[in-house]
Order: sequence, then C-alpha cells, then structure tokens
Amino acid sequence: MTTFTGSRRLRSLRDVGTGIAAVGVKELRGRMRGRRAFVVLTIHLLLVAGFAWMVEGLAERTISSGFGGSFSASADIGRQMFTALLALLTLIVLVLAPASTAGAISLEREKQTLDLLTTTPISSLAIVLGKLLSALSWVFLLLLASIPVTALVFTFGGVGPDDMIKGYLVLVVTALAYGSIGLFVSALVKRTQAATVINLVTVIALTAGTTFIFVFWVAMTGSSGVLPDQPTRDAGPIDGLTHRPAEALMWLNPFVAQVDVICGTDTGFGASCQVVSGVTNGVTVDQQFGIARDSYWPRSLAAMGVLSIVLIVLSVQLVAPTRRWRIGLPRPRRRRAGGDA
Amino acid sequence: MTGIVRATGLVKRYDRTLAVGGLDLDVAEGEIFGLVGPNGAGKTTTLRILATLLVPDSGDAEIAGASVRRNPNDVRRVLGFMPDSFGVYDDMKVWEYLDFFARCYGINAERRRRMIGDLLELVDLGPKRDTYVQGLSRGMQQRLCLAHALVHDPAVLLLDEPASGLDPRARVELRELLRELRSLGKTILVSSHILPELEELCTSVAIIDRGQVLAHGRVADIERRLRVGAVFRIRVLGEHEAHEAARAWFAVQPDVVTADLLEDGQVEIGFHGDDDGSAQLLATAVGAGLRVATFSRAASDLEELFLQVTAPDPVTAPHPVAAEVPA
Repeated sequence: MTTFTGSRRLRSLRDVGTGIAAVGVKELRGRMRGRRAFVVLTIHLLLVAGFAWMVEGLAERTISSGFGGSFSASADIGRQMFTALLALLTLIVLVLAPASTAGAISLEREKQTLDLLTTTPISSLAIVLGKLLSALSWVFLLLLASIPVTALVFTFGGVGPDDMIKGYLVLVVTALAYGSIGLFVSALVKRTQAATVINLVTVIALTAGTTFIFVFWVAMTGSSGVLPDQPTRDAGPIDGLTHRPAEALMWLNPFVAQVDVICGTDTGFGASCQVVSGVTNGVTVDQQFGIARDSYWPRSLAAMGVLSIVLIVLSVQLVAPTRRWRIGLPRPRRRRAGGDA
Repeated sequence: MTGIVRATGLVKRYDRTLAVGGLDLDVAEGEIFGLVGPNGAGKTTTLRILATLLVPDSGDAEIAGASVRRNPNDVRRVLGFMPDSFGVYDDMKVWEYLDFFARCYGINAERRRRMIGDLLELVDLGPKRDTYVQGLSRGMQQRLCLAHALVHDPAVLLLDEPASGLDPRARVELRELLRELRSLGKTILVSSHILPELEELCTSVAIIDRGQVLAHGRVADIERRLRVGAVFRIRVLGEHEAHEAARAWFAVQPDVVTADLLEDGQVEIGFHGDDDGSAQLLATAVGAGLRVATFSRAASDLEELFLQVTAPDPVTAPHPVAAEVPA
C-alpha cells in the first residue's frame, strides 16, 4: 500500500516536472524568438553600464571638489556605484517581473487557449509554475547579464563579494515575489490590460505607498524613546497614535531590504544604516557598532517568499478548471448570454 | 449501460439557471454520436462536463471507465477535446503547436517527431508545418485544433460545433476527416446545429432540450419509435384547378394528416407513414391520374425529428423517457 502510494506520488511529481518543462519550453520559444530578446538584453546592458559610468563620474567629481572627500575616496565611489546599481536593478525587476507575468493566464483566457491546456493531464500547479519560471528566467537572464557591470565596483573597493551576493539574492527573491503578484492578478482578472494596470498600482502601493504610510505614521506619532513598545512621552499630531509603525509594513518593499544590504558595506552609522534603524525602530542599534548587520533583509526576504508561496497556491486554485475554493472578483449577476449553455 | 462514454443523471446549474437537468447518455465504442439541440439546450455544458472542465452538481459520467468526478486526470488521458471557440497561440509554428501539446502528455521526443508528421498528413496540413499558426485560415486552424486533440491517440473525441464558421468545402473536408477517424477506431461525440450534416455523419444521435435527452438512438429508430411524420412536397402538372384537385385528393388519403396548396402551386402534405407508405402513396397518386412531376421530402429526417421532438407544445412533444430508444 505504501509502495503504491509512493509510486503514485512519484508519478505525480514527474507529471508536474513534465508539465513545467512543456509550458516552460513553449513560453521561452515565444520569448526568445527573433531579435527582440537580444535587442532588449543589449539595451538593458547599455542602460546599466551607462548608469554605472554616470554615477562613477558624479561621485568622482563630488569627492575631487572637496565634498565628502575622505581617506577612502575610492571605496566611497565603489559604495555609491553599488548603491546606485542596486537601486536601478531593483527598479528594473519591479517593472519587468510583474509585467512579464501579467498576461501569463489572462492571455490564455483572452485567446481561448486555457481550455485546451487544462484538458491535458498537466496539473494547474505545473501550468502556474511553468509560466512563472519561464517569465522569471527572462528577468534572471537580465540580472545575470548585469553581474559583470556590477562587479566593476570591486575595482574601486568598499564592497565585498558577499555584499553583491546579498544584493542579488534580494533581487532574485523580489523578482519571485513580484512575478507571483503579477501571475496571481493575471489569474484573477480576465483582461491582460486590466492585469497590467493592477500590477503597476500594486508595485507603486508596495514601494512608494508603504514608504509614504510609514513616514506619515512616524510623523503623526508623538515623540518617544527609541524602543518600539515604549509609549510616547509627548503627544503627536494624532492623539491616539502612540506607537510607531511595525517594520513589517516595509517587508515587501525591496528598496529597504537593499538599503540594509548597503548598510552592510558601511560603518554602521552611515545614511543607509540610519534608514534601516528608522524602519526597525532602532531595535538593532548598538551604541558601539551602530546597527547590527544582516538583521532586516532576511526577514524581508522571508516575507516575500511566504507571499510568493501563498500567491502561487491561490493562482493554482484560480487556474484549475474544477477548483475547490471559490475565489475571484465579485461580478454583477447577469442573465446567461445567447449561445449554447 | 456498457458504452465507452456513459453519463448518469448529470445536473449542472449556473446560478439559478438549469443548464443540464438529469441527463443520461450511453455511447457505444466506435460510434460517431451527435448531440442535437437548440441554443441553450445544454450541449456545450454536457461536453464540458465530459471534458472535465466543469464539475456536475450531481450525477457522474465515465469515459473509458474513468469517472470525470473522481479521476479527471485519467479521463484527460483517454480524451481529446475540441471546444466550440478556441484560440491559437501567437508566435508559434504549426509543428511547435503540436509539439507543445504532445509534451503536455509526456510523449518522448522520438515519438513526438513521428507523430507530428503523421498527424499533419492526416489533417492535410503537411505543407504548412513551418507556417505560423495565426497565418492559417479558419478551416486550417480547425483542423490543427483537431490534430492537437489527437496527439495522445485518445479513444474518445469530444467536438463542440466543429463545423461552425467553416465554408462548405472545409465542412466536407472535416466530415471526411471524422469518418476517417472513426475508421481508426475512435469514438466521436459531436455537437452541431447543422442537422443534415450530422445526419449524414452520425451513427446515433441524442436530441437535447432544456438539459434533458428527449430522444436517443439511431435516427431511423427514433423516427420509427416516435412515428414522426415526414413533410412531402408534390409538384403536379397543370393549372390551378389541377393543383387544387390534387390537394383535395391527397387530403383524403390514409396517413396524410395535412394537405396544403403552396403559392408556387406545389402541394405540401404531412405524412405519417413509413418509406413503404410514401412509395405506395406516390404509386396510387400516379394510378389515380395525377400528373406528378416531383415528389420529395421537404426537410431532412433529422430536421423533422428535431422539430417534432423539441416542439414547445406538450401534446406533440414526446415525453423524454417515452422517447428513449436504445442505440
């Protein structure tokens, strides 16, 4: 009995693998056909390299003009380039990851191909994962191509290989989380155009929106001690608001996670560390060494990972033709349209 | 029931609308089985339940012994489905389209290569192998969609309105293709509005209305069982008086229920007899001195059956159970 169940599980697992491969090959054939993919890749690299060059030039001019000059000028340039490149790459991921999955399911519905796909033995999980991984593989390819440009910061110093690995890890998990958001929205709404707009709004809400709410909340809170649970001593503009917002509000904002990674290249008292300290309510601040390293971004990545898993499960439910759970946008009731039942 | 496709008491509701209300089906292996019914009769819902795209509210269906409720994945392995409205992927060549679906069934590379060539030959798309799918005509896309349903060599094919939107030539080609598939041992369930085509093609039909099977079996058997009459049009040579005399003569013949004179001078009669009876009637008319130039059916058997069986008048419409005819 156990062997039977085991072999059945093995078969299911193999079927999921076959399905992911089938969908992945089909999607990648479409994406990589012709010159389009290579043109986009070239433009991406030119943009990243040009941006790095620009930042290096600006940093050099600033330091040589006497502002911010220090005994470690080269390392400062390296850190500034690293910061700028991580910000740019995060922005690219935030735009491309949800955009590349926005039509994954809704386009299948629009083109009336989803029925053809769901009557094959490949599972909804395979369809969802195949779509997600093929869309993300394109984003990952862009990230991979940018590594040599980002590695230029090593010639200036100030940034270690471990910092770069952490930065790219945040980028990869960000792509996974925001790609999953795009996929979920695509499975939820029927039109790709609507899915694209919802994705854009979601990205803005989770980055600029959360930042605005956090800053606004802090500004409206009465001044208090450093500790988050400590009640306010002076009343703020809003009387009832006595506690600062929890750092969890910013977990899905990858820019803050990247700031924490950049803080790792700093002394612990620099601007990036101040930002992270503000977000974490100073919990990890040490009087002697500044902020504790690598404390915030792993929590942010874990939150994005959990979000990805939840959204993938929900997307599978939405794609399955005979799903058990009923989730979807509320629709106005209407009479059955003409045509056959 | 011993058929390869069996449905028992299928019920499906959309909100408060009953799409399928206790439908039973039994389709024997190797048949081309037609689902006939007006718009909203429940044909598409029935086919979508059989294709595992919908779960019935109650009842169950089995395809090659696998339940659509309990083992949908097993059903999908023995089933090829071509929906009413289907799309094609952009940026995909004809061979890639079939290759993708073959991969979905886990078919290995060697078999895929051989099978794609064979299928393209079968549906007459061999020369279009490297053409982009969106560049094919509607008829060719229809044939390609049919080919996609055959990549895993299924025992049963479900085709929902396969001839809709096709020109006459493409319809004839599709009909020939379905006959060829039947000769290969496939069982085919096909729904259509084009009744004369179904009549030519199908070995059995089920007439569906309001989600129920009203009549089920071979066309000739249903006709015999229901004693559904035929409508004949007779052209008699002569002037108006001769036509009127002919109408009066036909009106009093046995098995003739109605006799009308049409504007073009033809006499239209409702006849309740069988083929022997109609031959006898014609011989008697000629023997009685009527100069009969043409004597022909006004509509196909299936059309007459369909109109009779789905008539809104409860007196003329047969009871669903009473109309059941074993295939």
